Amino acid sequence: MTVSRRELLRLTAGGSAIAALGQLGLSSALAADTSGYRAMVGVFLFGGNDAWNMVVPNDSRYADYAKQRGAGLALAQSSLVPLTGTAFGLHGAMAALKPAWDEGALSAVLNTGTLFAPLTKALYTSRPDLRPVNLMSHEDQQNQWQGMRTRATNNDGFMGRINDRAQAASLPPLISIAGSNLCLIGDRTAPLILPSSGSIVRNGYNPAATDAATKTRQDALNVFADASSYGAITDLTGKGMSSAYAQAVQANTIISSTTSAVDKSFVHPTTGAALTSDISKQLLRAARMIEARGSLGHAKQTFFVSQGGYDTHTNELASHNNLYADLANALAAFYNAMKALGLQDNVTAFTMSDFGRVFKANASGGSDHAWGSNHLVLGGALANGKVYGRYPDMTFGGNEDASNDGRWIPSIATEEYVGAIAQWYGVSQADLPYVFPNWSTWNAGGRGPVPLFG
Amino acid sequence: MRIQLLSSVAAFVTAASVFAGASGTLNNGQTSPGDVTGIALAPESAIQPDEAARLAKQASFGPTPELVDAIVAKKSAAAWLDEQFTLSQSTYVDVAEKNAPVNFCATLSGTEQTNCVREYFSAVPTQMRFYKNAIYGNDQLRQRVAFALSQIIVASEFEVHSTAGLATFNQILLGNAFGNYRDILKAVTLNPYMGDYLDMADSNKSQPNENYARELMQLFSVGTVLLNPDGTPQTDNTGATIATYSNTDVKEVARALTGWTYARLNGAALTDYNNRDLSKPMVMYASRYDTGAKTFLGKTVAANATQQASVDAVVDTMFNHPNTAPYICKRLIQQLTLANPTPAYVERVAAVFADNGAGVRGDLKAVVRAIYLDSEARTVSQLPGKVKEPVLLATSLARAIGYQTDGYAMVLRDAAMGQAAFRAPSVFNYYSYNFPLPQGEGVLSPVSKIITTSTTMARHNFLYDWTMSDTRPEYASLLPNVGSAPDWASWEALGTDDGKILDRINLVMLNGTMTSAQRQSLLTAMAQIKNATPALQTRKRAQMALYVVASSPLFQVDR
Repeated sequence: MTVSRRELLRLTAGGSAIAALGQLGLSSALAADTSGYRAMVGVFLFGGNDAWNMVVPNDSRYADYAKQRGAGLALAQSSLVPLTGTAFGLHGAMAALKPAWDEGALSAVLNTGTLFAPLTKALYTSRPDLRPVNLMSHEDQQNQWQGMRTRATNNDGFMGRINDRAQAASLPPLISIAGSNLCLIGDRTAPLILPSSGSIVRNGYNPAATDAATKTRQDALNVFADASSYGAITDLTGKGMSSAYAQAVQANTIISSTTSAVDKSFVHPTTGAALTSDISKQLLRAARMIEARGSLGHAKQTFFVSQGGYDTHTNELASHNNLYADLANALAAFYNAMKALGLQDNVTAFTMSDFGRVFKANASGGSDHAWGSNHLVLGGALANGKVYGRYPDMTFGGNEDASNDGRWIPSIATEEYVGAIAQWYGVSQADLPYVFPNWSTWNAGGRGPVPLFG
Repeated sequence: MRIQLLSSVAAFVTAASVFAGASGTLNNGQTSPGDVTGIALAPESAIQPDEAARLAKQASFGPTPELVDAIVAKKSAAAWLDEQFTLSQSTYVDVAEKNAPVNFCATLSGTEQTNCVREYFSAVPTQMRFYKNAIYGNDQLRQRVAFALSQIIVASEFEVHSTAGLATFNQILLGNAFGNYRDILKAVTLNPYMGDYLDMADSNKSQPNENYARELMQLFSVGTVLLNPDGTPQTDNTGATIATYSNTDVKEVARALTGWTYARLNGAALTDYNNRDLSKPMVMYASRYDTGAKTFLGKTVAANATQQASVDAVVDTMFNHPNTAPYICKRLIQQLTLANPTPAYVERVAAVFADNGAGVRGDLKAVVRAIYLDSEARTVSQLPGKVKEPVLLATSLARAIGYQTDGYAMVLRDAAMGQAAFRAPSVFNYYSYNFPLPQGEGVLSPVSKIITTSTTMARHNFLYDWTMSDTRPEYASLLPNVGSAPDWASWEALGTDDGKILDRINLVMLNGTMTSAQRQSLLTAMAQIKNATPALQTRKRAQMALYVVASSPLFQVDR
């Protein structure tokens, strides 16, 4: 069942959105789920993560890896953090994730990316109509990852569409600590978007005020807040402002609390110092909202966090040392916080990124835009010790190269990767095609969700 | 031009009809825009204060009573634009002299070092100059167009920390705002701040860096898909969009742009990182230049062409590509007037980009005139809407109130609202030009990208703090500068007639659209504010009314 915004506005005239959703039976899909609390945390690595240096072959293929990446980009094999029991290692700056790997709570998914249809090199070459549009463009590829449509305009995103099917609550169960993003936009729902630091208090507003000056001022604010006759942009912006003011009160209580049990996990694994990176602050706030799930009435929660700086056209090795250390420390802290809450089996975090980068280094010690890439998934519900997918044949211009310098054609589609997490989360079979518009392509003919959970 | 005037008049009839209901009740002593007959028959000389205020929202950093008077005195939008085209006193040239080797502040410590870094290696001096000019400068249109260009051709201090470099880059946009777009593309391509930001500097033929080549095409000129003259995408026989360029084109352009490096300070060697000069155009480093033939977008640069010839070929190819006119014009329109221009509006402006009427392509003065004088921009309608981005929110409020400022107070407040001036998070600007209005059924609202629960609160609190407070900590001076101070005296001078306060607010903040119910709610609330000192009572009432109007969606979204 789909309801457009216009229909909803008609139905909500004079009533609340929650009542209207109930009226339409829209809360059924996720609300009926009885599998217990679950959360998914998408970590978007903006700029295009060169994950060919995040997950590296640690067996005989290392020699090919080193040769093809060249001196400008190849990591020393001795620096890798072995993913014990597999043929791969993590970037050395990601050592903080080693305990999670050893506990069976970390997985890697290889050569994943945007796809319209399964592609071989031959098909890629002969059938441009089967390629995602505007490959290697930041904006387009971000939108395709977040919107899950590779040959059509994305006006909304998979997290927003999951939220469309969620049970309504006073604070939406879709929460971003990384700003507004296409991923979060639903056909009829909006997310809560929190800052990564600082409080959200509306200066000068006191609904309990009794003095005439304050009351009449607030009456005037209400008169001016009604933008219903001023067109869609003013009206929806005004409604968003009113909604933000209302949501901020409850959200601020949670993010400003001084008694959270999760904060102590967000420390450096060796020094014990509080983590200061923005990604760690974002994940700390996500952990606090998870901690408050009961009072929020959230049976499920979806989070969007992000880390920027991955557009490494120059000096990639130095940049990666900082980026990956911040990322790994933050993710490890988040996993530890979930353990502290006893929720490590109920929460799954996963990386996304614009695209992978060219395997061959450029002359600036960096790498340019490419396509398929590797990703990490973190959570206690994962099958133990798995690296999924096929590491590409590293021949330049070979059977997996969309170019002549190592722009690998993905072998796993974003739908197969993220869809696996959405299924685990509790998106019903009936709703998967709504959340992933191209689902039928990726759930038939031998294709399907990556078997991440065991 | 004659056709333009006729359509503007026709638009005004519609406009007047829309507002007939509200304006008839204003009783503010001004000529009522509800007087349909008078306006419909008015000659070009009839621009009214409310319409002048609306033009000022689009073409300046916010209406002031003086600016509205100036537009009315010129009698038409066109005449005011023509006057603006002659003004150019704003500059970053002296800021660009804050040029120093990378290690310049290294020997200092403590506050001295902090101040040194702020002066020589931060956005602050350029941001302060920008805000000061935006609040005071008479060349409002030039600055507004330069600000628009800075969000289309983005080089951000978020990554490259050089006061001289940032100022030099932005002087290109300010100086050429009414010049030719080709000159901008050429200057930007060889600008060292951009060279650092998008890595064309030191790109080497051994494996060229693709960053600038790709974004020059994707963002600064042709865009990713072939466009019709009206900016809508062309489609193939399957309905799919058609790529403007392939990855091979990116690689070939990257080859053509190899062999450039920074000029150096103090005659230092071209390999001396410390002495990079980010205020001078990049210079050639011949041994890194790929002398082979290059072919991109169907154009070939012959083998052994000079480096300059290769750059010119790239710039000319991008500048002359049919996509560039609708692509750049649509973004300029989205910056200056409407978030959702019709294809017909884009096509009319793009045609002027293609030929200014005298056979010149890329004449930005003609393009800017076409953007503002188009009937779609001049038609008063509540419906299109364009969310005020934080910079314009701050400058519009400051100009509506009246501020003395060195610009620093704005620098301290814009980042929390999601738009630190000249510090976009990436070359894709603070927001995508295609960002959808959430739940908007395909309506675009680029600025909505930076409207979140937290920035909504930051915007509110900024507006509350700067209206309801007599003074603020961020108004303090940053020596040797002067700090900021709101001009409350001009409001106190309005005396005991609350209607006069609301008339001024209605004009400069709502371009005359306040309804009688809205006005009454303010009069009721103003009457509850009492103070034994008449001037203080007037000020407090004005502050309250400014707060209510500024924080409302009716001020935060322009129509």
